[in-house]
Amino acid sequence: MNAAAATARRPWVRILLAALAAIVLIVAPLALPAFANQTLVRIGVYAVAVLGLNIVMGYTGQVNLGQIFFVGLGAYVTAYGVNHGWNILLVFVAACAVAGVVGLLVALAAARLGGLAIAMVTIALPIVGVPLAKRLSEFTGGSQGISARFTDAPDWSGLDNDQWQFYIVLVVAAAAFLLARSLVRGKYGRAFAAVRENEAVAASMGISPYRTKVLAFTIASIFGGASGFLYLAAVQYTSPETLSFGHSISLLAAMVIGGAGSIAGSLLGGAYYVFVPQLTNAIDPNLTTVSQGALLLAVLFLLPGGLVSVPRVVRRLTRRTGAGRSTGRRSSAGPVRETSQQTAPAHRPVPDDALEGHEQTERQDGP
Amino acid sequence: MNIRKKPGGVLGIVAVTAALALSLSGCRGDSGGQGGGGSASSPGITDSAITLGITTPLSGATAGPGKCTVAGVSAYFGAANAAGGVKFGDGKTRTVNIKSYDDAYDPQKSLANFQQMVSDNVFAATAGLGTPTNRAFRDAAISQKVPQVLVMTGDPLFSDRKQSPWQLGFVPIYQNEGGAFGKLLAKSGAQHKVAILSQNDDYGKGYVAGFKEAIQGASNISVVGEQTYEATDTSVDAQLTQLASSGADVFFNAMSITPLTIAALQKAQQIGWKPSWFLPSNTSSPTAILEPGGAAAYPGIYSVSFAKAPQSPAFAKDPDVVKFLDELKKYGNYPDMPAFPHCMWSYMVGATLEKAFQNMKEPTRDSFMTALRDIKDLKAPLMLEGTSVNTTVDGQPAVSSVVVQKYNGKGYATAENFG
Repeated sequence: MNAAAATARRPWVRILLAALAAIVLIVAPLALPAFANQTLVRIGVYAVAVLGLNIVMGYTGQVNLGQIFFVGLGAYVTAYGVNHGWNILLVFVAACAVAGVVGLLVALAAARLGGLAIAMVTIALPIVGVPLAKRLSEFTGGSQGISARFTDAPDWSGLDNDQWQFYIVLVVAAAAFLLARSLVRGKYGRAFAAVRENEAVAASMGISPYRTKVLAFTIASIFGGASGFLYLAAVQYTSPETLSFGHSISLLAAMVIGGAGSIAGSLLGGAYYVFVPQLTNAIDPNLTTVSQGALLLAVLFLLPGGLVSVPRVVRRLTRRTGAGRSTGRRSSAGPVRETSQQTAPAHRPVPDDALEGHEQTERQDGP
Repeated sequence: MNIRKKPGGVLGIVAVTAALALSLSGCRGDSGGQGGGGSASSPGITDSAITLGITTPLSGATAGPGKCTVAGVSAYFGAANAAGGVKFGDGKTRTVNIKSYDDAYDPQKSLANFQQMVSDNVFAATAGLGTPTNRAFRDAAISQKVPQVLVMTGDPLFSDRKQSPWQLGFVPIYQNEGGAFGKLLAKSGAQHKVAILSQNDDYGKGYVAGFKEAIQGASNISVVGEQTYEATDTSVDAQLTQLASSGADVFFNAMSITPLTIAALQKAQQIGWKPSWFLPSNTSSPTAILEPGGAAAYPGIYSVSFAKAPQSPAFAKDPDVVKFLDELKKYGNYPDMPAFPHCMWSYMVGATLEKAFQNMKEPTRDSFMTALRDIKDLKAPLMLEGTSVNTTVDGQPAVSSVVVQKYNGKGYATAENFG
């Protein structure tokens, strides 16, 4: 077998690579210009939201069109807490908890419904959310929105604001990604996959589809709330426009484009959500909608598995060109597995890998 | 097998490295530009050019007015550049470049656009439309000392100098509009009973506050009924019936929703209540609202304005209007008759900025803000008789004077007196 891949699979190499990645992430903001940091911060914000969406849609297969509602809810709770002088950790817990409780209540009702009915219930969330945010002006500041500054770098740190925000987002996002990774690889991940594939089979295996769906939905809401906290850390302002329905669809598109049912895909989805408007603005600010649509179609046609499948597609293409020269064994699983190991420093090879998601893209969480 | 697979691994590494290098080199470019400002002049201004940024909705529901905000400023400075540039207060002549950014009315995107402007070396943000989108980067603009001026929002926060040292609103705040009508009414001398209906948010409250302040102490005006509605309501029939029973002869309707305004105009006729109306500037369009609402049945429909309407036959041959429409076509990339007043407003923003440029002594943002806050009685092109740009009053936007106008069956004409 490939020596490099074998080396990469050894535990100490993985730890080393993970440490390297961590060091790069910690040092990078000090070297990068402010705008790069601010962009990375926004990617982090949306990556967490997409990650939550991925858990409920990508892994559990339940349509959720209301994720932006939980992001907005988390942002409003954060703004309220900060403006009332709460401890920042308490604010963070509250943002996650309030979103989680609301998500749980919605899920308890919605998960009883099947298929499209869940989608309808989740559509209602942002649609109700906007007028609600406008009316509850004691909490939300009404249609003018609410500002809250709490992410200015303290003097003792000697950092710039953008660097300080980067570290806040990094800590929360890294925790969210590690938690999500453990979740989808453990027994809950297998339960999610079983429910997604076939509820009857899942029930026959002793997995309650109802409880699994409620769990996935609630976790997605908690991630949404955490993303809302980060949103306020980055933007320092929220208004009813934040939770408009259109953004929910954009989040959904970002998830599919990043890679449904993939942890790394969520990060790519967050990057897509942030980069594409910047890119289309640079092309021609008058044609942003058109060029965004064109990009969306292009990605979906060329990479139906999402951006996370790029390494696999590239490998397939290179193998095809290399096939003339070499007549080696063409195993579909082998190469996918091995190269992914190289680009996935944090990946621990566990025997039940195969169940963590039905897509092979799952194993390419590195890039 | 080993031989075949190695390229794949190497390729992955190369791809990652390339991507990293690309993104890093992209960033470097930004930082290099940022440092180029130097100590003497602010970023975004050189001896021969100045760059202004506009973040505004260019897609989505508010794209129409948003496109106008870019078109008007581009038209004004396009013509000025073609004539050789703008002569600045420090003796140098500069061309004015406009960079526009689409925020789709999303606060998060407008903040991102602002951050992009900073890295693109934009001297000042201007003319952007929208309260939430402008609020989203207000704090950032203050902390980075980047001017965010002559923005299109009726939110008074932007004209409060203590809270917004680097900001200035352009269009009249809601209070100005309500106040102008209140003054006209109080001046009339005759006894009037007023019924008030307002949207239950900052918009409606602003109009009512301005109106009430203006009629304070006027013994001839009494408010006999006051109702509110929510912006999400689909009917105000109940409120109208209530207000009609008060016997008011003047109806102050601070409503921002087009279909509701039309429905209200129709409903009041049906129940036989025919007062004089006041409507805000953004819901008083003759063709889109008054005609379908059957407004001719009322003794008078009043609204306010500060810009000449190019559609109006009265201004068809006005030299300002002719020049404006020509430049809008040539430099603003806007060949049609402007459908929104924002085109005219942002054209005036161009004139106001030019005035500030002429007065700024040094090529710095500080000097620009000082010059901008010192403009008195500027008659910008397209302004109606009786209105002017005045940036010297704390708490007021650049244009705080509006003229009350009365509907004459086709368009609006300035109303000197009520009645």
